[in-house]
Amino acid sequence: MNYRFQFGVVWDNFHELLEGAWLTFQLGVFAFAGGALIGLFCAAVKTYAPRPFRFIVDAYVVFITNTPALIQIYFLYFGLPEVGLRWSNEACLLIGLTLNAGAYLTLILRAGFISARITEIEAGQTLGMSLLQQVRYIIVPHIAKAVYPALANFFIVVLVMGTSVGALIGVDELTGQAINLSSVNYRWLEYFTVVAGMYVVLTFIASIGLALLGQWAFRVKARIF
Amino acid sequence: MAHLAVSDVRAKYGSLEVLKGISFSIEKGEIAALVGPSGSGKSTVLRALMGLTPITEGSVEIASERMNYSSAKEVRAARDRMAIVFQAYNLFQNMTVMQNLTLAPLKIKKWPKAEVEAEARRLLGLVGLSDKADAYSDQLSGGQQQRVALARGLALKPQILLLDEVTSALDPELVGEVLDAIGKLAAEGMTMVIVSHEMGFVREVADKVVFMDAGQIVESGAPAEIFDAPKTDRARDFFSKVLRH
Repeated sequence: MNYRFQFGVVWDNFHELLEGAWLTFQLGVFAFAGGALIGLFCAAVKTYAPRPFRFIVDAYVVFITNTPALIQIYFLYFGLPEVGLRWSNEACLLIGLTLNAGAYLTLILRAGFISARITEIEAGQTLGMSLLQQVRYIIVPHIAKAVYPALANFFIVVLVMGTSVGALIGVDELTGQAINLSSVNYRWLEYFTVVAGMYVVLTFIASIGLALLGQWAFRVKARIF
Repeated sequence: MAHLAVSDVRAKYGSLEVLKGISFSIEKGEIAALVGPSGSGKSTVLRALMGLTPITEGSVEIASERMNYSSAKEVRAARDRMAIVFQAYNLFQNMTVMQNLTLAPLKIKKWPKAEVEAEARRLLGLVGLSDKADAYSDQLSGGQQQRVALARGLALKPQILLLDEVTSALDPELVGEVLDAIGKLAAEGMTMVIVSHEMGFVREVADKVVFMDAGQIVESGAPAEIFDAPKTDRARDFFSKVLRH
């Protein structure tokens, strides 16, 4: 093996990789946040709503969790234009990832709804809380705390595995940027070594941030290492 | 004029009638104790007063004002006038002791912050927990949690305090500290309805004892009458078992 590593060309274009990493981070955050809203809504429907509504949510969750994310995004990007719906590649990626995350987060948040303690809710009622106040002060904090570790793990999944699918429809997130740059100068090995390191750093920063957020907001004792 | 007048209250769980016409009344500053075997409906009386178990018939009057339990909105009038403390404390686990006490006065009543916090500190002092304001419930013993629940109930300045077997979930060693706190409230003139199995304590603080069985009041009267000279066989049988200990 007499391969000679040449990282110089990677460093020359490093700012483009950083831009890709920033886009990856934004996509991860927005897809997760949107997915969390969908998940919260669907989990509430599954817990409180009548059967037909629960069935619709079940169908959504089953459909999304049993098909590859890539297929879902291809469906939006290559499929929908056939019927006249044309969105940019970034929009397709973000919408696809959000819908995908929403289904998984429905399952995660549902566990939180089930574990919400009826006793605390009754205590809130007798103190005069309205339904909305019960949700805000008792149910949501309870869910957030109960399922926080699972939520944090899933954010990492969206951030790394979800967003990198974008490379296949030409979104210039971190993986996409790496493919673009290395196709110009054929330094695949160097680029992907550096990019792998950047993903690790990105998830490491996200993990620390999430652990601190969890400790601050919900007193979740998370171990970073 | 009775401060709290409960007249012929009936309640059902599904098709099972659990309260079959309950009537009793207490004056301001008095303490009524509901006693009787498990499943007799004692706790259900308190839950019905708070609007947690629907009342199918009968009426509840507080200071001559009839309470309306017909909707979640109407039931607030009853919840404004009474507070309940549960057997299992039911503290908000994601909040500190101070937040547990101040949440309802601040967010629901919109009372001024400085006043609410001063009152919360006074109440924590009353139940002997001044140093635990910033603790979370999982950092407290059962007896401490129950005293916090007591203070939380008082933070909304209720006219009547309902205590639902507040010492039943506690280690024997911790029962005393909770009973001490309730004794202090009694001395302050708080009107209370308590469900309890602590017969010695009931005899000491209650003005009136109501003995219930199978969703009905079997007999009621002053503690000495009920405990020492019960008129009915059912009451005699029950007290001969519980008072022997």
